[in-house]
Amino acid sequence: MHMTTTLAVTFDWSFITENADELLAGLRRTLEVSAIAIAGSFAIGLVLGAARAHRVPVVSRIAGVYVEVIRNTPILVQIFFLFFALPQLGIILEPFTVAWLAVTIWGGAFNTENFRAGFEAVPYRYREAGLALGFGRLATFFNVTLPIGGRIALPSSINTYISVVKNTSLMYVISYPELTTTALQINALTLQTIETFTVLAVSYLVIVWTMSASIRLLESHLALPEERR
Amino acid sequence: MTIPDWVEPVLRYMLEVGLKGTLQIAAISLTGSVLIGVTLGTLLTIRFLPTRALIRLYIEIWRGLPILVTIFIVFFLLPVVSSQLRFDALTSAAIALTLWGSAQVAEATRGAVQSIPREQHDAAAALGFGWVGRHSFVILPQALRRLLPPLVGLLVNILQNTTIAQVIGAPELLESAERSVERLAAPVPIGIGEVKAVPIYATVMVIFFLISFPLTRFAAYLERRLVA
Repeated sequence: MHMTTTLAVTFDWSFITENADELLAGLRRTLEVSAIAIAGSFAIGLVLGAARAHRVPVVSRIAGVYVEVIRNTPILVQIFFLFFALPQLGIILEPFTVAWLAVTIWGGAFNTENFRAGFEAVPYRYREAGLALGFGRLATFFNVTLPIGGRIALPSSINTYISVVKNTSLMYVISYPELTTTALQINALTLQTIETFTVLAVSYLVIVWTMSASIRLLESHLALPEERR
Repeated sequence: MTIPDWVEPVLRYMLEVGLKGTLQIAAISLTGSVLIGVTLGTLLTIRFLPTRALIRLYIEIWRGLPILVTIFIVFFLLPVVSSQLRFDALTSAAIALTLWGSAQVAEATRGAVQSIPREQHDAAAALGFGWVGRHSFVILPQALRRLLPPLVGLLVNILQNTTIAQVIGAPELLESAERSVERLAAPVPIGIGEVKAVPIYATVMVIFFLISFPLTRFAAYLERRLVA
């Protein structure tokens, strides 16, 4: 039996210079959508996480349902619903809107859990101490619970942001020209599959690895004084 | 209120073809992820730099890439690299999810194995077990207790991520839903000439919720029991 393993391992470097403009435009859209979604999911996580941790009536319940629905259904189906089903209800959204909205809703749900866990990890006696010093409930939250619980929630929330960036690639299904969609379009035109996927994979790995390295940096930088070594 | 005629065949198609494909892809991926992940994770605890560096690279690459990109790499890039690496959509999805899942399992296994106290290794060694015997009969069975909650969590993630295989047309639940919407939108002899995207995609969400919710609750229960 003869094996024909022709390994095509040539890499055409001109691919990068020839497609640089389009690839950079795609990368820019990926970063743009990610930035909006990270800011949005930070805000959602902070507010709803605090509401969950402090069992704020009604809000906490609604937040709980939101978290469970989003976490227990695939994000791709959520994207399909926003883009392909909502128009039947008269709600027509631009691909760009669906792009940032879908990952914001998704990231917000996961971040609500991250922040809830962080705030709940703050020992009750710290809050008690804040109240004993005459701080109101809100002042206690901003001066005691948030600085301590926020730090506890930081690594897991950055992990959520990493997933948010990776999930922007799913906007391929709605043809929003972010990095993955752009790369696949270039591949269809040039048929330079090896070059396309190398550039695509390296781009994502650089972004993701940079973000996860930042967790370690931030962790040591923001560590509470008593934990600093 | 009567149920419209189109509902029954569409639901039957989505469950018999779509859900079946989803469960198939998930079952293969979960098995592959556990087998490869537990092996790599255990090997990662050996203090031998070259294997550690290679396994680390494997974990960081497949955890770092969006699953969609990995699916494209398996489906579009591998056949270009070698004609023998051509797989159908369902297999490609299962391979991609296994690469991703095994990286997750490897990382979790490393932590679980390292959580087993040194004395267990020493005691097993004193009983005459070699490295393989020590790990298969003493260390891993104990590590499994700690590994179980993340494995149930992984199953939920794998099930949800099978939907990404829709982009390469693999027969799974979301693809069956998409085809049903298109078919119903066609004029009368083929479809009913109406767009039924809202009820159909809502059904997909409900099916996933009914599967995922009990599993995430179960994972949380296992986690709590571990701490207690």
